[in-house]
Amino acid sequence: MSGDPFHATRAHDGRAPDVFHPGGWVPMRQYRESEPVDFAIVGTGAGGGTLACKLAEYGFSVVALDAGPYFRPLEDFASDESEQTKLYWTDDRIVDGANPLQLGGNNSGKAVGGSTVHFAMVSLRFRPEWFKSRTLLGYGADWPLDWREMWDYYTEVEQALKISGPVTYPWGPPRPRYPYRAHPLNGAARALAKGCEALGINWTETPLATLSAPRGLAHPCVYRGFCISGCSTNAKQSALVTWIPRAIAAGAEIRDLAMVGRVEVEPSGLVSGVHYHRDGVWRFQRARNVVVAGYAIETPRLLLNSATARFPEGLANSSGLVGKNLMAQSNQAVWGRLEHEVRSYKGPPSLAITEHWNYEDKGKDFFGGYSYMSQGPLPQLWANTLFSARGLWGESLVEAMKDYNHVVGLRIVGEMLPQESNRVSLADEVDQYGLRIPRVTYSWCDNDKRLIDHSLKFMSRALEAADADDIWIQDDDTCHLNGTARMGSDARTSVVDADCRSWDIPNLWICDGSVFPTVGGANPSLTIQAIACRTADRIRALARRGELNAAVPRQTSIRQRSTEVHRS
Amino acid sequence: MSPPAERDLLALAAIAASGVALVSLLSAASAPAGSSGPRRAPRRIRSGRAATVKTAQELNRAAGTLAASVLADSSVEHYRGSFKNKAMYTPLAVSALTLATSIHGTADMRPFAHKARDATYLLAAATGMIGSGFHLYNVGKRVGGFSWQNVFYGAPIGAPMAILLSGLLGFCSERVREAARTRPRIFGLPAGRTIAAVAGAGLLGTTGEAGLLHFRGAYHNPFMLLPVTLPPVGAALLLSAAAGGSGRTHRFTRGWMRVLTAMGLAGVGFHAYGVSRNMGGWRNWSQNILNGPPLPAPLSFTGLALAGLAALGLMRAHPDA
Repeated sequence: MSGDPFHATRAHDGRAPDVFHPGGWVPMRQYRESEPVDFAIVGTGAGGGTLACKLAEYGFSVVALDAGPYFRPLEDFASDESEQTKLYWTDDRIVDGANPLQLGGNNSGKAVGGSTVHFAMVSLRFRPEWFKSRTLLGYGADWPLDWREMWDYYTEVEQALKISGPVTYPWGPPRPRYPYRAHPLNGAARALAKGCEALGINWTETPLATLSAPRGLAHPCVYRGFCISGCSTNAKQSALVTWIPRAIAAGAEIRDLAMVGRVEVEPSGLVSGVHYHRDGVWRFQRARNVVVAGYAIETPRLLLNSATARFPEGLANSSGLVGKNLMAQSNQAVWGRLEHEVRSYKGPPSLAITEHWNYEDKGKDFFGGYSYMSQGPLPQLWANTLFSARGLWGESLVEAMKDYNHVVGLRIVGEMLPQESNRVSLADEVDQYGLRIPRVTYSWCDNDKRLIDHSLKFMSRALEAADADDIWIQDDDTCHLNGTARMGSDARTSVVDADCRSWDIPNLWICDGSVFPTVGGANPSLTIQAIACRTADRIRALARRGELNAAVPRQTSIRQRSTEVHRS
Repeated sequence: MSPPAERDLLALAAIAASGVALVSLLSAASAPAGSSGPRRAPRRIRSGRAATVKTAQELNRAAGTLAASVLADSSVEHYRGSFKNKAMYTPLAVSALTLATSIHGTADMRPFAHKARDATYLLAAATGMIGSGFHLYNVGKRVGGFSWQNVFYGAPIGAPMAILLSGLLGFCSERVREAARTRPRIFGLPAGRTIAAVAGAGLLGTTGEAGLLHFRGAYHNPFMLLPVTLPPVGAALLLSAAAGGSGRTHRFTRGWMRVLTAMGLAGVGFHAYGVSRNMGGWRNWSQNILNGPPLPAPLSFTGLALAGLAALGLMRAHPDA
């Protein structure tokens, strides 16, 4: 083991942890705080980590800060669900509303690599129509992006992560073949397939960001099932093991245990850097551009906490929409029991999927769509589910746990509609850094409830068709947060433009799930990364045209520098 | 000892036995003939009798190489499948018997077919046919039917063909051997050309299997392209030799067969490297031999290339074969 990543920074003195070798290091460029870097990026997850990589490879100087520790998966991750809760953002927050969100594993991450360190790896493209949902489907808001352009960026991300997916995908317009082949189905996935075939709808293997063949220094998946508790084999293609090593190799600096508390604004109205807490003191990194990529809670929190006399309602908030239109995705499940052993915990949790109700508009009494996937809960999560959703305790819980190897489940990722009343605001309480903590307010609308009801009935039929008995529903769960800084074509009705650039402050950018105007019925990580890739391309184009507050990109990399720090 | 430990040993022993047998086969191929044993004939005799026996021995060697590959491969793969169906022991027993038979044939200089060898080779061929049926059934019954998912991860459809080919080549070997005083014929067809055609078709089939499984591995290593590009060329050369007229020397084809022989052996090394690419590498051999690429599978190419060489040799000695 190489030190406690929670109490001592690891990325410093010109080196960063080598995620592929226990105790190893890689050389890392370091920047002075007093000299402005081209980009200070707040957050290193799907949005920030990807953008840091791309911008550094384009030759910009980049410092990316993350509030969480810098893990080495091979030695820091235990096969223990309790231990691995260390991956979640469990700092103080207040939740309220008619349907308060449960914050934790399903929707937060505090680590270099962000939530991708423990995400379920499901890597789906959005249905093209969702990018124009208001115009084409009659609900939500139009994105300022064209789906064909996104299709190209999806391809780039799928290649970068070596997504393992089906040879042909049954829904949507043609897409290139996934770079790696799909994983073998486990018992839970076969049950999903059987249900779909019985009900006459398509199913397929889930495109997953975990390797089905070796890649570089990463091993293929060993199907141990701890994916959402942190993959200790590096088969999972998280930002931590994909984008960030590339970013460092290209000259970016990553700062771990660096909590950004405020974005500084100059009298000119431009931002000039970030105040961040590291090693027990507040520090300031000067930057020509600041990118906020803290995800749907921390992004609006930082923007609101950075209010000044000039921007009393927070940064980038002339529309008044920062923090509003928070969207979770519904994550209800139907569970049952099969006579034969399923052992659903073997392998990635969601090996099979149907997107039927994302692409089929007939037979719905709601707007939006949902996909559903097979499930593979680990024992502790399963015991918690039986307790919290089914009310089992004591002897009845013990009896139910004896059936663990026979349990089969289907769970949706469902589209919830944007509502201004669902929002992130600031509470009066402060956290360990002295920063006002976020208040997260959430209530389902009638459309959300109709979608959930439809999905639970349909999945119950699917489980019955798969010969499950003792079927019951888990009707209160959500996942994946998006919105709170939506992109749009009009400064009055959105926070950022299609390039993720704030309408109000031209050198302030937001690049994470916050910018989603709608969430669709598909896991968002691939789209977040695709948007980050597009944003990087747009930034490069703007810089070339002289429309950016940044130095002219250089084409140097850390590899070209002397490597005074060697791997130990 | 617990049953899993016994099975570990069984699988290891089978692999080790196959390796030893293979080494002995190959060393027999390179050892100076006539150096020991009463059954050995003087080398360089180009009489029809010596040539047919020599070709028969070479075919025994090819059949034995294929049988060794099947013994090791089915040991590992069926162990992986926990011998869920008792019939999964069959290819182990039959391939072991075929291997022993082939070793016997390789050492036998007599120009007569051997009834026990004939019977064994026919049994091997029948096992291959029936095994293919079993594997097809296994794939078809899975949810999704004959989908990519199931041909990737169900029973490998092409694998039993290796023991079928072993049996066919062994059977051909006996026909060639007993034809010492006549023109070598197999079912009335010229033996050399028939064997060349069988080996060529076998190369194509094996290429299909390698192509499917390397596609499953997404050709993540560029060397994975070799077994889907070199063997089809070899197959075309052999089929051309089978269809061509007499008097040709087939030097290029012979050279290509030697390349394929080496490629099969190198493939085992590449697959060993592939095993090391899994979590824990060779330190975790008991798991990774099952997870990684099948170690003995590339030997099928070696076996078929050896058969091709034997056929070409026979055609040189007997232009009308």
